[in-house]
Amino acid sequence: MNKLLFLPILIPLAAALGTFFVPHRLRKVRECITLSATAANFLLTLFLFKNDCVYILPWLGPSFEFSLRLYRFSAFIMLAVNGFGFLISLYSVFFMSAKAHLRQFYSYFLITIAFACGAVLSDNLFLMLFFWEGLLLVLFGMIAIGSNHAFKAATKAFIITGIADLCMMIGIALCGYLAGTLTMSKINLPLQGMSVVAFILLMIGAISKAGSMPFHSWIPDAAIASDVPFMALVPAVLEKLLGIYFLTRISLDLFQLNPASWLSVLLMIIGSGTILLAVMMALIQKNYKRLLSYHAISQVGYMILGIGTALPIGIVGGLFHMINNAIYKSALFLTAGSVEKQTGTADLEVLGGLMKKMPVTFVCFAVTAVSISGVPPFNGFFSKELIYEAALSRGLIFYLAAIIGSFFTAASFLKLGHAVFFGGVSEKNKSAQEASWGMLVPMIVLSLFCILFGLFNSVPLAKLIAPVLGQERLHGHSFTVFPLNLKLTIATVIVLVLAFLNHIFGVKMSGSGLHAADHIRRAPLLRGVYDRAERRFFDPYDVGRIFLKRMCAIAFWVDRKIDWLYEGVVAKFIVWLAGVIKRRHTENYSVYLGWALAGLSLVVVFLFYSIKGR
Amino acid sequence: MIKYKMILLSTIFIPLAGAFFLPLLGRYNARLRNIFSFILIFSSFVLSLSLIPLVISGKTLIFARQFPQGFNLVFTADSLAVFMACVSAFLSTVILLYSFSYISHYENQNEYYSMVTLFLGAMMGLVFSANLIFIYVFWEITAVCSWRLIGFFREKHYILRADKAFLITIFGSLLMLIGFISIYQQAGSFDLAVIREVFKSRPLDNMVVLLLLCGIFAKSATLPFQTWLPDAGIAPSPVTALLHAAVLVKIGVYVFARIFVATFDVSFIWHTIIPCSAGVSALVAGGAALIETDLKRIIAYSTISQIGFIFLGFALGKEIGIIGALLYILMHGISKAGLFLCAGIVEQNTKTRDITSLGGLIKTMPLTAVSFLFCAFSVMGIPPFGGFFSKYMVFSAAAESGNFYIIFLFLAGACLTIAYLFRVFNMVFMGETHGPEAIEGSPGMLACVVTLAILSLASGILINFPFIFAKVATWQIMSH
Repeated sequence: MNKLLFLPILIPLAAALGTFFVPHRLRKVRECITLSATAANFLLTLFLFKNDCVYILPWLGPSFEFSLRLYRFSAFIMLAVNGFGFLISLYSVFFMSAKAHLRQFYSYFLITIAFACGAVLSDNLFLMLFFWEGLLLVLFGMIAIGSNHAFKAATKAFIITGIADLCMMIGIALCGYLAGTLTMSKINLPLQGMSVVAFILLMIGAISKAGSMPFHSWIPDAAIASDVPFMALVPAVLEKLLGIYFLTRISLDLFQLNPASWLSVLLMIIGSGTILLAVMMALIQKNYKRLLSYHAISQVGYMILGIGTALPIGIVGGLFHMINNAIYKSALFLTAGSVEKQTGTADLEVLGGLMKKMPVTFVCFAVTAVSISGVPPFNGFFSKELIYEAALSRGLIFYLAAIIGSFFTAASFLKLGHAVFFGGVSEKNKSAQEASWGMLVPMIVLSLFCILFGLFNSVPLAKLIAPVLGQERLHGHSFTVFPLNLKLTIATVIVLVLAFLNHIFGVKMSGSGLHAADHIRRAPLLRGVYDRAERRFFDPYDVGRIFLKRMCAIAFWVDRKIDWLYEGVVAKFIVWLAGVIKRRHTENYSVYLGWALAGLSLVVVFLFYSIKGR
Repeated sequence: MIKYKMILLSTIFIPLAGAFFLPLLGRYNARLRNIFSFILIFSSFVLSLSLIPLVISGKTLIFARQFPQGFNLVFTADSLAVFMACVSAFLSTVILLYSFSYISHYENQNEYYSMVTLFLGAMMGLVFSANLIFIYVFWEITAVCSWRLIGFFREKHYILRADKAFLITIFGSLLMLIGFISIYQQAGSFDLAVIREVFKSRPLDNMVVLLLLCGIFAKSATLPFQTWLPDAGIAPSPVTALLHAAVLVKIGVYVFARIFVATFDVSFIWHTIIPCSAGVSALVAGGAALIETDLKRIIAYSTISQIGFIFLGFALGKEIGIIGALLYILMHGISKAGLFLCAGIVEQNTKTRDITSLGGLIKTMPLTAVSFLFCAFSVMGIPPFGGFFSKYMVFSAAAESGNFYIIFLFLAGACLTIAYLFRVFNMVFMGETHGPEAIEGSPGMLACVVTLAILSLASGILINFPFIFAKVATWQIMSH
């Protein structure tokens, strides 16, 4: 049984090699390999799900062993990773059929799954870092093959995540030093002194993987540049699962994060900031995929806020939101993909009236959009309620941030749905049809899960999430009661109604669904901020680049000045000295004789004293 | 044992003596000379490989002849020396193969081949020497060779750069010689084994440490002696790969390990000063690499910056750091040589080194581009490439030292590494093609860069083997 733990990593890796070396003629073979590998992986994780086992290989001696551990938490994440992996690979087979670079796409896709499984299964921090940072390569590759100019977005993604991963590398080194071991299941450090630094560094790694601010800005760029299956798999699902998984691990297991700690407040501030800022940006986007990508950032804020509260209810909410978000966000990206495949664009100015042409896609979109907006009884509602409850007990301000975020989420999805599926069909899109079955199946399955996880929320909460925390932390609570808190539920409903009214008002004002948020865009105060944001004043990457250029100019100046010291000062001095001495060579015999005598007498004096010294 | 001693001596003296026959051979037949120089260097590589089974078991091979006044001729093959010898001989072999087609249409080939071979011989001698004065002698032979090699093109401007490199390193090594002499005055011998006994109970004087460091920093191009290295980028690419990346700059690091880690105890304060100066060096060079626009100068700055990490690993005196630094020498050697050789292909086929006038080369030179990227990933330290392991171990040692200034200095340096390598890659290989049309390099040159790229990856996937070797070496030098 233990040895089977290797397989979820090995199967996709072997398949990746296979797909890479299959010749172009045999496209079907390549697709079969991909599908069967992801399906096998999924079945395997289902089979292993209930197990609790460890597998250890001595890799590089005692502290760097190759140890894999399957237990309730990693089994849950593994199940999600491989479930999504299978659904999206099915989608890709149909979606990607006409694209270039297929060989690379499928190989990277499978390597991504293999490394993600490796990172989740590792019980050694160093091994986890190996897989975790290795994901950078496929991240870069998958974005870069998207289009001709995608390499810029790919570089941006690589540099941002790479720097965060370096922070994490140091965090892991520190953690290993403090705890005396790198085995995750043996580390449990109190948060004081150096371990605070270690926690922050590890936290940077975790939240940047999850795509939180200020490590988010590559995601919207990648959304435009890369292919939809990549967006639906990596930023929407895998990175969230990994980032939140690790954030939970460090706050629950590796360190003892408690609500009294300022680190908990820091996490909550990051979370609520991310919710608000990202959703405000999402509201004004005019591209289907870019709008979704800002929501992918904003939703992470809820998870970080929930886990940051360090209360059991918040952590449960954060984890539940993680899995819910993965479901609806990847489904939303998939709808964007099928719309794009049919119409050739994701530009909201061009899209419109697709409800009649693509009814199934529309229904899937509608279900997932109401889920992300937190409408009862869909899944997003329940996880958000848990987070609201936790946030409110930590401070009104955090609750307000979360609920205002929900208002804008609902508003932007009303706008998006209106712009894409309602209104008139433009000339270009007359020929649009429903997507093929292979693309519809994943969307339908995910939409069904949105409903199931909503109606029967006690199942995932009790089977998947409660075991993560364990009964002693939960004190017997199951958090599945409905309504959890009647007042909060009413407040949520009021906010959603307000968002709907706001949309109607916006449509009346501007006359179109796409511009329904323009009154917010043009509101006093916000207008100036939005203008600057659209000119990328606030992109930490761009700001960092300018800062870096200046710092580097200083470094370069230092380097050149040192060079000048050699070429300008030393060399010139020696030339001058040589000139001085040269002028003493006057070809006058008596002067030379004088020099020689002076030298000789110096030697004699030196010898005399050195002999006398003995 | 006699057999192994013969192997040890031949490892050093085959290239050292053979180098002088190469120009003679070249007068008759250029092809024969090339093959012969390959045989010399390759046999040196194979012989040093054959020493591995002996040293990996923890044994040390000593060849000693007593000379008066402490000038004993001592060659010692411990794991550290054999590790270094294998790395440098292997890289020299690959670089030599590359130069067969790169150098083929230039003048002065006789001198080139004999200097490269002599250089490797001197390197081997230096690595195995356990006597300060012989270390010094071989050290200066490498300096002379590198002077001739940097000045391979005979334009005045190039000659001046070669002189600069020579003068700065010689200045450093003369200071180091003074340091050696003052050690000699205290110990009465240049033999490291004797010196170690004498200095067992007391640390080295700070003044002497400073003098030795000047020599080491000058050779390894660390601040404030770094500026000769980017300037030497005018040399032919195989030379820059050999000198800057693989072998020459590692001499300083190696002697640092041999003297400061394996022989002497130094005052505690140096455990902070050396990492700090190495960190500043890494940062300044990394920053300069992000501004510079000359392809080979950028990679040269990158070398300066990475050398800082190697010093960090050695200087902290932690076991994991020394293992990391040794692996760093290997990984950095492989991947940096690969980068320089890729740059050589680009330079030769586009006739320019200015990255602002290059672009889009991945379309016409896909193999070079991918090899460059692989090597760059290894230098950045991205798993599963080899550089990841060495970088982690060095950082791990820094974490154990608990000095946050040092950690964050090097964190910034590591971030810069990612930034400048991507800048180069994107400007040269991605984007729009503007400027010269380029074709892929010749098969021989491509084979070399692809080999190095694959090795960058393989050294990470098969990390066990170099790791065990480095670990044994570390135990040996720590146990003195």
